[in-house]
Amino acid sequence: MSRRFWETDWFGPLMVVVVAVAVVSILNPSFLSPFNIQVLLLAIAVNAMIAFSQMIIIAIGQMNLSVGAIGGLSAIAFAGMMEVWGIPWPIAAILALALGVLAGVANGVLVALTGISAFVITLASLSVYKGVNLGITEAQPFYKIPDVVKGLGNDTFLHPLPWLIIPCVLAALLLWYLLNRLPLGRSILAVGGNEHAAELSGISVRRVVIVAHAISGLLAASAGIMLVGRLQLGQPTIGDDWLILSFAAPVIGGAILSGGHVSVAGTLLGVAIVAIFTQVLVLFNIDPFLVQVVLGVLILWAVGVNRFREVRALKHSAQVAS
Amino acid sequence: MQFKRLISACLALTAIPTLALADSSTRVALIPGGPHPYFAAWEQAGADAAAKFGLGAADYKVPQKWELGLQNQMLESLVTQGYNAFLIFPGDPVGTVAIANELADTGAPVMALAGCLKDPSDAVFCMGTDTGNSAYLGTKELLKELGAGAKIAHFTGFLVDPNTQLRIDAVNKAAEEGGAEVIQVIADIDAPEPAEEKINAYLAAHAADVDGIITTAWVPAVVASSALRKIGDKRIKMVGIDHDEVVLKAIKDGFVHGTMLQNPYGQGYIGSYAADRLRSGCTVKADAPFKSNALTDKFIDSGTVFAGVNDVDDYVGSMQSITNTLFADFESTYLDCK
Repeated sequence: MSRRFWETDWFGPLMVVVVAVAVVSILNPSFLSPFNIQVLLLAIAVNAMIAFSQMIIIAIGQMNLSVGAIGGLSAIAFAGMMEVWGIPWPIAAILALALGVLAGVANGVLVALTGISAFVITLASLSVYKGVNLGITEAQPFYKIPDVVKGLGNDTFLHPLPWLIIPCVLAALLLWYLLNRLPLGRSILAVGGNEHAAELSGISVRRVVIVAHAISGLLAASAGIMLVGRLQLGQPTIGDDWLILSFAAPVIGGAILSGGHVSVAGTLLGVAIVAIFTQVLVLFNIDPFLVQVVLGVLILWAVGVNRFREVRALKHSAQVAS
Repeated sequence: MQFKRLISACLALTAIPTLALADSSTRVALIPGGPHPYFAAWEQAGADAAAKFGLGAADYKVPQKWELGLQNQMLESLVTQGYNAFLIFPGDPVGTVAIANELADTGAPVMALAGCLKDPSDAVFCMGTDTGNSAYLGTKELLKELGAGAKIAHFTGFLVDPNTQLRIDAVNKAAEEGGAEVIQVIADIDAPEPAEEKINAYLAAHAADVDGIITTAWVPAVVASSALRKIGDKRIKMVGIDHDEVVLKAIKDGFVHGTMLQNPYGQGYIGSYAADRLRSGCTVKADAPFKSNALTDKFIDSGTVFAGVNDVDDYVGSMQSITNTLFADFESTYLDCK
C-alpha cells in the first residue's frame, strides 16, 4: 500500500526547507534575491553529487571514505589534462569521469573479493588517491581552465538557474529511476537490506557491490569536475572536506546507515538544508566557531528522527503481528 | 605560471656567498601542517639550500591531511629515515610541542616555520610572517583607500591554524585605530568549497553593506578575488594575501586593491641553512634580537610587503629583496659560530 505523503522520507526535510526559506527570507529579504538563489543552487548542485556518491554506497550498507579523494583526483586530472597536455575539455572530462569510475571499481573489487570492510578498504584507498593527487600537483593548483568550463561552472542558462544544476537534476532522475524501477537498483537495496538473503535469492552480491562503487566513483568524479568549473581552477584540496556533508545529507534525507533504504529526494533536500543553514550562519553573522557545531547538531537531529521512526515502525509491526 | 617565475627568480639567491663549510650529513625535513599552495615554495627552497650549502638533503614532505596525528606520525617516521633537522609548521601550537621536544631530544635542531609553537618548547626559534603585523598592515593599506567610517569584512583561514586568531585580533585593532568597523569575520574557509559557498553567499546578501574586504589566508583571497570579478564590483576595495595568479591578475584588472606578500621561499631557504649551521656547532646567541608574539619570545619575522597595482609585475623582486636582507646578516645576528 502506498504511503501517505507526510509519511515519506522527504516530507520532513521538505517542511524544514520550506520553513527555513520562509523565516530567513522574512528576516533577510536579500536571501531570495536572484544572485543569492544562484549561489544557493550552485552549492546544492555540487553538494548533491557528493551526497549521491555516498548515498549509493549507504544503500548497499557500506561506507565510502574515499569519496572526496576520488573527486579531488578526478578534478586535478581534469584540470591537469587540459593545462599540461592541452586536451580539449570534453575529452578531459570523459577521461576524468573514467578515472573516477576506475577508482570506484578498484574500491568495489577490493571490498567484494577480500571481504574486508568497505570502511577499511576506502580508508586505505583515500590515502592512495590523495597521495597520487599530491604527487601530481605538489599541492599547486592548475590555473589554465578554458573559459567555456569557467562559464559552465558559473553562468546561468536561465537566470538564476546555473548550468551546473543540469547534471545534478539528471543524476537525481537517473538515480531515482535506477533505485525504483530497475532490477539493478532493487538488487542494490536488497544487498543493503540483507546481504545473505539477497545472495540466497540469486543476486550476485559481488557484482552489485562493484557496480555501486563504480557509480559512486562516477558521481564523485562529476562533483570534482563541476567544482573545477565553479572554482575556475584545479585545486588539489578539492574533496578534502566532503566527508561530513556526504554522510549528513543522505542521513538527513532518511537513509538508514545499515543499508537497504535511501531516498534520492530526501538526500537532495538534505543537501538543501545543509546549504541553507550554511548560508544562514553567514547571513546572520554567526560566530565562525559555531558553524561546525551547528552541522553536527543537524546530523544528530536527523539520526534522532530516523531512530524515532525506526522504533515507531518496529512497534507498529509488533502490534500488527500480535 | 607565476609560481615558476618566482622559483626561477629565487634561484638567483643561490648566488649569495656561502659563509662557512656545510655538513653533508645534515638531512633537513621541511614539514607543513598539510597540503597547501603556500608551502610549495619550501620544496624549491630546500632543494636550493641543499645544493648551495652542500647539505645531505633538504626535503619537503607533506602530510596528506591537516591532522595533527598524521603530521606527528610523519615526523616520527622521518627520524627513522635518517633526517636529523626539522623545519615544521606546527599542526597545533600546543599539540606539536611534545613531538618537537622529542625530536630535539634526538639532537636534531627543530624550528617552527610559518607558524609558531607555544613557549616553552625546545624549538630553537620560530621563523615566519608576523601574521598579526601582516594583517594589521594590510588593513591599514585598505583603510588608506577607504578612510574612516568604512565597513569591512574579514575572510580568514582554518580555525585550527595558530595564526588565525592573531589575524582576527590584528584586523580588529587596525580597524579600530582607523575608525572603521569589521562588520563580519568569516573563518575556516581556507579550502575551496566552503570559501566559494560562504564568500559568494555573503556578497549576495551584503555586497551593498560593505566597503572593503581584507583576506588573510590564501584560498579566501583567491575566491574573493574571483567573486569580485564575477559580480563586477570595483566599488568594494579588497586587500588580499600571497601571490596566487588569480589574486595578482585581479589586482592588475582593478578588482583587488593589493596583496600582502609573504616569504615562504625565504623561510625554507634560510631555515635549512640555519639548521645546518646549528648541526655544525653553531649555537643560538643568548642575546639574539628575537621578537615576541602571542605564542613565543623567539620569533624571527621572515618579512611581508604590500604589493599594489604598480608592484605586481615585480612582486618576485620584492620577495627576493626581503630574503636577501634577512640572509645577509642572519648568522651574525642570530648565531654564535666559533
